[in-house]
Amino acid sequence: MAGDRLVTVDPLVCGRTVTSSDRTRLPDVRGGDLADVGTAPRLMALAALRELRAHADGRPVGQDVVDKAAELFEHAVLEGESPEEYAARVSYATGLTAAAVAQSVRDLVDELRELSETTAAELPGTRFGPAAGTRRGPHSGSGFTTRWVPRGRVFAAVMASNHPTPSVTWAQALFHGYSVAVKPGSRDPFTPLRLARALLAAGLPAHKLAFLPASHQTGEFLLKEADRGIVYGGDSAVRRWQGDESVAVRGPGRTKALLDAEPDDAVIGHLALSASFDGGTRCTNLSAVLTTRPVHQVADALARRLAALPSVPATTAGATLLVADRERAERIRRQVDELRTAAGVTDHSARFDPASAGTVVELADGSLLPRPLVLSVDRVDHPAVGTELPFPFVVVAPWTTADGVAPLRESLVLNLLTDDEELLDAAVREPSVRKVTRGTVLPWTAVPGIPHDDNYTQFLLEPKGVVAAA
Amino acid sequence: MTDTEFDLHIRKSMAWHFGADTGSPFWLAKRDSLGFDPLTDIGGLADLTRFPDVSAELRTVPVGDLIPRGLKDRVFRVYDSGGTTGSPKRIVDSAARAELLVWARERLLESGVPARGDWLHLGPSGPHVIGYDVSRYAALSGALFHTVDLDPRWVKRLLADGREDEADAYVQHLLDQAETILTTQKAAVLSSTPPLLEAICARPRLYELVRSQVEAVIWAGTSISAENLRMLDQEFFPDAAVVGVYGNSLMGVAPQRPAVPGDSHPCVFEPYPATTRLELVDDEGRPVAYGERGRVRLHLVAEEMFLPNILERDSAIRIAPRPGSPVDGLADVQTYRAIDDVRVIEGVY
Repeated sequence: MAGDRLVTVDPLVCGRTVTSSDRTRLPDVRGGDLADVGTAPRLMALAALRELRAHADGRPVGQDVVDKAAELFEHAVLEGESPEEYAARVSYATGLTAAAVAQSVRDLVDELRELSETTAAELPGTRFGPAAGTRRGPHSGSGFTTRWVPRGRVFAAVMASNHPTPSVTWAQALFHGYSVAVKPGSRDPFTPLRLARALLAAGLPAHKLAFLPASHQTGEFLLKEADRGIVYGGDSAVRRWQGDESVAVRGPGRTKALLDAEPDDAVIGHLALSASFDGGTRCTNLSAVLTTRPVHQVADALARRLAALPSVPATTAGATLLVADRERAERIRRQVDELRTAAGVTDHSARFDPASAGTVVELADGSLLPRPLVLSVDRVDHPAVGTELPFPFVVVAPWTTADGVAPLRESLVLNLLTDDEELLDAAVREPSVRKVTRGTVLPWTAVPGIPHDDNYTQFLLEPKGVVAAA
Repeated sequence: MTDTEFDLHIRKSMAWHFGADTGSPFWLAKRDSLGFDPLTDIGGLADLTRFPDVSAELRTVPVGDLIPRGLKDRVFRVYDSGGTTGSPKRIVDSAARAELLVWARERLLESGVPARGDWLHLGPSGPHVIGYDVSRYAALSGALFHTVDLDPRWVKRLLADGREDEADAYVQHLLDQAETILTTQKAAVLSSTPPLLEAICARPRLYELVRSQVEAVIWAGTSISAENLRMLDQEFFPDAAVVGVYGNSLMGVAPQRPAVPGDSHPCVFEPYPATTRLELVDDEGRPVAYGERGRVRLHLVAEEMFLPNILERDSAIRIAPRPGSPVDGLADVQTYRAIDDVRVIEGVY
């Protein structure tokens, strides 16, 4: 047990905290429980959706409210929770390092402050019709406007717990006028709750927002009942929503690099950072390297680099690697053992990082740390390619020009380290590759307007013609 | 029936179920392999755990072999457990269930179910005994009985195959039919399952039809969380009695008992004292203390069926008997999940 008192979390519906009779314990990575969480069963979710819908008016929230909320999220004591307490809770619940949480808070507030800019960058101008005087007849130009309006009234967000920053996506729905129901990830109710409190304190109308810790099934129900939604999670969590145009699916990223260049120190350092930044918990963290170069040599170099990352508790200065509670660590260990012993797989980390042989290392504070792992496989269509784990985990596989673009499919980000312009063109045209980076650019590098995965603003908004008598 | 009386009932029943002229072929064939003599070695309730758990055999035994020879002139019906694929468990029933249901209906009335007024059962029918049970409650009330075909095995199969959209469509098909009935017909009592009640609440017109005319909502068939039950009772149907019935084809029914002062759980179930004992046991099979959660172990000792020492798929919290009751109560029934157990699919029933 961590020693501190148990944190209590309950649903927050239209500004009211609703104490639920259904309770669940949130484990602390150091052992014992961190929080006592009240969960919303389906009927509470239904009642919350009704209340949201009854008041949903589609009116956008001003950037000033969002700016104020960003300020409060970063610096204020909200319902008794200081920024430091918040960060510690996220670390102890998710195993993210203090540095990763601090970085994600900065990213989250930056993205909140950029919402107007992002919107402008992702929408074409609204003066569609012909300019005045260019056309004859009754529709001569003036009086034509295009308004961008929400595609629905109620938005559902089913979040994961791998990282705090994605919460910006549901704040963005609020910003554009939706009323929002958020189901937090089971390990991180803290980020959506803190952001909800910040938004309410900044002046968001209370009837716009419901925070509902809940089961996977209740999350599915929210997505089904809402007009639009977003879902984060593993294959099983998102499978049902693939191809559903009302739900933005954020599944496993399967971010890959194609290495068709000299694997020198700079390149290996870049790949190692792509895999290990924020402890390897981002959906954009690298998980596979396909290469024309000697596979074992590349894998050894990566393994040596990642082996240098220290095994220290998540809240220690200099910590970079994710930690987990015992049960989660055990699940990871079983999964990794299966992968490591599969046919055609070579473990490269064992040589450089003896501690990785046991997969997880027990730390002094009681938490468990999965060591980075680099495997190589003997063929590019090996099933291990595309496996994602919540810590630095990379599979290196052989690739030749003859293999073509097929092995590069299903990638949230594809990092091309090659001079092959034809391959670049084919990769950009490949529908299941969502973003392409060239050279030693980290996968998550972006500015407002650069799509992360399609145009999210246009997922939320649709153009509507307004024509007035001239 | 007190424990002393129940022990006497058990000893008499041993003579019946293991008598060459009266017992069932199923139990008579087992007698020599039991390793004890049921006629002399079974003195009462505590000895019933010496019997093997035969519930898995109920999937395959020719069901006629379950009928006691002493009742061979009676007409029996077959009922099935839920089942998904493969063979469900089967039981036989002639008149015993009807007797049980007279007792159970009295318990429902005590909890606020109206004695008169028509019924709508939106739940399994076919081989599932719950369809018969609810039709009997209606008949005992002199009421009309509306129902809708519902095949729970199809829903479970859809969910097992990951076809959630088809399962949803099937549920909407059921609700369409309920809406058709309630648009022109009256029902004072609605009997259904928690997932279907949730689905009803999510359909504004149907919900309004139910809320405006139903005086009691009976839920059974799957577990329900404490908060969902509170929402159902206080937020969605505040003017109706919301009453639970725990049960299955093997054990019969254990309706919710009226609340007593000091109850810490909003819904406590009690089994039929005349034939049934439900024990809540730990992993070693020892009864848990009051207030603790244990797995449900059933002993059914009736003239038509003898089902001792059956470990059910459910767990519950053990509640001390209310004054005057010979049997423990069960609260917060949930599907029992052992570590590494296969996923139990509750479906809509």
